[in-house]
Amino acid sequence: MKIIVCVKQVPATNEVRMDPVTNTIIREGVESILNPFDAFAMEEALRLRERHGGCEIITISMGIPSVRGILQETIALGADQAFLLSDRAFAGADTLATAHALAAGINKLGAADLYICGKMATDGDTAQVGPMLAEMLGVAHATDIAEIEQVSDSELLCRKLTDDGYVRIRVQLPAVITVSKEINVPRLPSISGVLRGLAADIPVFTADDVAVDKAQIGLSGSPTQVIKTFVPDLTQHIEWIEGKPAEQAAELLEKLVARRAIIR
Amino acid sequence: MELIREFTEEYSDYLHDESRTMGHAESIAFPKNEQELVEIVRYCATHKTPVNVQGGLTGLAGGASPQGGLALNLSRMNKILGMRYDEAANRFFVRVQPGVLLSQLRKALENKAFDIQGWSQDSIDALSRIKAGQLFFSPDPTEPTASIGGMAACNASGARSFLYGATRRHVQALRVVLADGSLSELRRGTHRAVGRDIVLPLEGGGERRLRMPDFATPAVKDAGYYFHDDMDTVDLFMGSQGTLAIISELELALIDAPKLMWGATAFMPSDEAALTYVRLLRGEKLPGLPVFEHKPASLEFFNKHALTMILKQKEITPAFAQLQELPADYCSAVYVEFNDADSESFAPVLRELRNVVEAVGGDPDKTWVAKGTRELEKLLFFRHTVPETIDLIVEQNKKNEPCITLLSTDMAVSDQYMEKLFAIYRGDLEQTDLHWVIFGHVGENHFHPNILARTKDEYEQGHRIFEKWAKDVHDMNGSISAEHGAGKIKTRLARIMYGEENLQKIKEFKRQLDPDFILGPGNILS
Repeated sequence: MKIIVCVKQVPATNEVRMDPVTNTIIREGVESILNPFDAFAMEEALRLRERHGGCEIITISMGIPSVRGILQETIALGADQAFLLSDRAFAGADTLATAHALAAGINKLGAADLYICGKMATDGDTAQVGPMLAEMLGVAHATDIAEIEQVSDSELLCRKLTDDGYVRIRVQLPAVITVSKEINVPRLPSISGVLRGLAADIPVFTADDVAVDKAQIGLSGSPTQVIKTFVPDLTQHIEWIEGKPAEQAAELLEKLVARRAIIR
Repeated sequence: MELIREFTEEYSDYLHDESRTMGHAESIAFPKNEQELVEIVRYCATHKTPVNVQGGLTGLAGGASPQGGLALNLSRMNKILGMRYDEAANRFFVRVQPGVLLSQLRKALENKAFDIQGWSQDSIDALSRIKAGQLFFSPDPTEPTASIGGMAACNASGARSFLYGATRRHVQALRVVLADGSLSELRRGTHRAVGRDIVLPLEGGGERRLRMPDFATPAVKDAGYYFHDDMDTVDLFMGSQGTLAIISELELALIDAPKLMWGATAFMPSDEAALTYVRLLRGEKLPGLPVFEHKPASLEFFNKHALTMILKQKEITPAFAQLQELPADYCSAVYVEFNDADSESFAPVLRELRNVVEAVGGDPDKTWVAKGTRELEKLLFFRHTVPETIDLIVEQNKKNEPCITLLSTDMAVSDQYMEKLFAIYRGDLEQTDLHWVIFGHVGENHFHPNILARTKDEYEQGHRIFEKWAKDVHDMNGSISAEHGAGKIKTRLARIMYGEENLQKIKEFKRQLDPDFILGPGNILS
């Protein structure tokens, strides 16, 4: 079985600082990491290989040249090969343009039996790229997978989370699945793995290399554009009420009434 | 007196620390500043009321469990008071009240987020020179909610003291309140003993002359009293656990934060292989084995029982669900951490580490590596679950048998005795039917054997075993408490370590400072 895992580099914090003028993420001083949901995707691929045997695991990402480090990490964890899509033409992509780029990269690498994505990236929270990719590749998809109960060459039996519980579904392969954090506990890499990752060659594909229509990628291939991004103000104010317990209670009562939190 | 309240049931949480040693008190006070602290101590001196100092109540030896009198809780003296830049030494220092929590200080330094209300202009200028995350206070007792005052009082150390030293080394100056309420300010390098003679300058004029006992305290890592010729006077109060004075303010030395922190947990085929691995990582040259020259920040050991215990707890405690699965065949595990000034050394050191793991029979394919603070958190979480699980089990066992407390030791010996000490621990415990685990700071030959007593008999048996070990460790010139302090739990062990004669000398010394013995009743000296 051939498994392709799509991964993304994200800032290591969910308190992203934005440049107020350009509306882009300030990356300076913020560590970049493998999207935590993609770590579950990677781990599940490794577990499928351990369970099913004979799996080839390939990872792919689209991003700036430094994303090479994240792909080396996937090699460290046990991926057989990793590829990076990096080109100025890919820049400014929304979810649709990203899915086009990934689909083109995957077509270049050759079809797989199973594509695994994290359910979403922690910097955008859109959860759109996985299903879009499935449409472009012309394969089935299932999102929010919390467990793969059975695996064969032709299908998976999965547990898919819903708002109220879960459903068990059979997914015909080839397919895209997106996984939730409940699916596993990602492992840390081994010494041998990390050394293998550091030595690994990560091929970089440009837009021309993957023969993608430039109108479908990057900013020009993005029907949605971010007008403004901001961190919600979560400031909480705490007021200490001093005095004896009875005085504190009386003052608290006054304040609650004044705020119409309670009616006297 | 208004600052002192009657000890009512609502304060019952203030009767014990994490060792579950239950104490008792007649009154409690929460001073907010040094002035209030002084007023309270003066009142107690006049009325000869025992004073039991408390910080974060995270101690593991009962040091903060009151033994009658006043529970003097310093948790509201929790302000970071200022910062100082020493241009000549190019070093930064931060001034804190004793109730500041380690986690609070770490967070402030990491985010450069200080409440600067009341700071002097010099402090604000010093602060303006630093960036978020640039500076680092290295002492790291496993519990981050420990208070800085408490850490100083028992000279706490932690995993990283292997590289950076215990709390003592990072305290530059102290203000202390003496038993009669007078204040003394002491600075490392400025106030020093002459031989065994000490002069404490008193605020508002005057001085107090003291003569230290004539014996030297252990040369290995030790959390107790510190008596050495010509020593810095600051060190007299570090490790004295509230028995000589009360710390009211500390100036802490900060160091540059490491640029890259990384670590590895290796699983070893035998305890002996694990200890050989430790010797190699300490830089020792052993015949026929590879040489490792990169100094680790910490070296931590876990025996099989400790690992099995946390895996069992993982099934019950949801918070532990994120623990990674362990490899199948192993006997023990060793965690090593590196704090590097750059990331260049990572790959070459990792290659050297692989050779060492292989040479002692470990498997580089099954050795976990965590690079960067985020990944490292996973290994540290793993480390932290061991004492956390012990806490949960002790709490559970205590419900069946109220006399049970934590039974953990922190004895340490010099490098040459590491294997001998481990063999004694394991040999003695294997002969029993007790539930026990061994983990701890193996880099400094300092293990934590823990006995998880289920019955009163087992609890008493545990104490007897500890007393035997105290004699063994005494014979190796070691310390009976390398980092937690003797507190109240280990006074019998302290008696074995110091010997009756020296214990009398310490009491005589204490009498010079605290003639009515009101400070820290029950701690160390019993």
